Amino acid sequence: MDPTPTPHIFFSPARIWAIASNTLLELVRQKVFYFLLVFGFLLIGLGAIAPEFNFQEQFQLLKDVSLGAMSIFTWLLSVLATAMLLPKDIEDRTLYTILAKPVPRFEYLIGKLLGVLLLLLISTLVMAAVFVLALYSRQQLAIAETIRNTSPDQVQDALREIHAATFSFSLIPAIIIIYVKAALFASLTLFISTFASSWIFTVIVSIACYFIGSLQGVAREVWLANGATTGHLPRIFLALIALIFPDLQLFNLVDDIVAGNSISLVLFGKTAALGGLYTCIYLLVAYFVFASKEL
Amino acid sequence: MSAISIKNLTKVYPIPFRRERITAVSHLSLEVEPGQVYGLLGPNGSGKSTTMKIVLGLVSPSAGSTRIFGRDSREVESREEVGFLPENPYFYKFLTGEETLHFYGKICGLRGAKLRERASELLELVGLEGARNRRLGGYSKGMLQRVGLAQALIQQPRLLVLDEPTAGVDPAGSREIRDLILDFKKRGITVLLCSHLLSQVQEICDRVGILHKGTLIREGRLDELISIENQTEIILENASPEVLARIRSMLDESGARVLAERKPQTTLENFFLEVTGAQKD
Repeated sequence: MDPTPTPHIFFSPARIWAIASNTLLELVRQKVFYFLLVFGFLLIGLGAIAPEFNFQEQFQLLKDVSLGAMSIFTWLLSVLATAMLLPKDIEDRTLYTILAKPVPRFEYLIGKLLGVLLLLLISTLVMAAVFVLALYSRQQLAIAETIRNTSPDQVQDALREIHAATFSFSLIPAIIIIYVKAALFASLTLFISTFASSWIFTVIVSIACYFIGSLQGVAREVWLANGATTGHLPRIFLALIALIFPDLQLFNLVDDIVAGNSISLVLFGKTAALGGLYTCIYLLVAYFVFASKEL
Repeated sequence: MSAISIKNLTKVYPIPFRRERITAVSHLSLEVEPGQVYGLLGPNGSGKSTTMKIVLGLVSPSAGSTRIFGRDSREVESREEVGFLPENPYFYKFLTGEETLHFYGKICGLRGAKLRERASELLELVGLEGARNRRLGGYSKGMLQRVGLAQALIQQPRLLVLDEPTAGVDPAGSREIRDLILDFKKRGITVLLCSHLLSQVQEICDRVGILHKGTLIREGRLDELISIENQTEIILENASPEVLARIRSMLDESGARVLAERKPQTTLENFFLEVTGAQKD
């Protein structure tokens, strides 16, 4: 049978998928999913330390801790999993064998990022499932206890309160925003790794970016509040920081959702779109750096 | 059309934070014809790897041009015709031999039954059918080199670029790789080979180029480069002392000078393989 491949095409989703699925397999076989066990144990442990709270407080605590842990775990996973991909391929010379094939550099980068995004998606879905399961089992316990301890004429109201305090559709946007934030950091970390000298450097710079992104909103407000006394140079510096780093406070709407505040669909859409935009921009800049990189 | 055409190639690397620059390759021109095995030789730092990387499009030239079967090597399409085996390749340790070939096949546009057949064919060719389902993390150095050769051949390229293909491999493995290269030559595949093992280069290359400090100092057909024009070697079998005495006297009369007279020797590689092969039996 003639093994001659199909003629070269400029952009091949099949090639990108081959690299993405290989990246996912690499990360899975490195057993990165073990951290999900830590998440599971955290939620189990939470039940043991919070029996003295009433059920509303328990639900709130569970939501706070679970979504907070999901946010930190997906962020950490996105940084650590992405940081080593490129340096390891260069160090092992695997990158040479891939780019010596008819693979454009942008397809290689997209494939790598897509692999990490798939890993993050699976992790987020698993954590969300564990969270929902923990919340559901806590809800069932609360329902059983309420039926036991409440007079029949008040049971319906008490049950309605329990249902309102546990699940709500607004948890879905919160989980999506957590994923979008992790995707943004995967892309940012990939960009840093295109010029970094080691994966440790990449991790450190990426973590520094997290803090800058978290504080830049506050800094901007302070600078703007002192607008009259602020010179041109600080303003330019501020503008550059605001342009380069995403304002991570915008992603804090997860906290509002957990606190029970309603989030408009427009705000959710804008935040998700901003995260998506930054992800694309970092990927694009990563390509420009990587395209001119001498290997 | 040449398999590789390098014209006036220069590569200069700037040194960060300094005004100095390093010239890795200077005004290099050479042609490799289709079907040839071309040896690129030179000491460490002579510019061999840089030249290879430019041919593969991994590094861009500062000046000059490199073409593969008429296509600029900076174009991604030119790599459809090329297979590459780097020095000391590691590949993905988490993949099996078969998965490795499937991965490289997929990025070359192969799919389905075609890909599976091609992978099996290559695993058989390089003698790794028995290890197809073993992860590369458990492969020996020689096996890694062989799976490296197989991935280089996955899309049936017309040109193979091999960087030290036998580095760190034991003599038996080294001979197997050498035999494979000779087999590729029979199949009409052009090979560009970088190696420090000069005896091996001598055995398999048709033509060699010697690089020194980024400059091509000698280039040509191997037999022409290493033959000594004013000397002749005659190897006799079963010659009696009387015959040898007569030859010597004839040589004395003719005015030719005998520079050396010795028993021919086998190579250490042949001797080693003979001994270790006998022990295995």
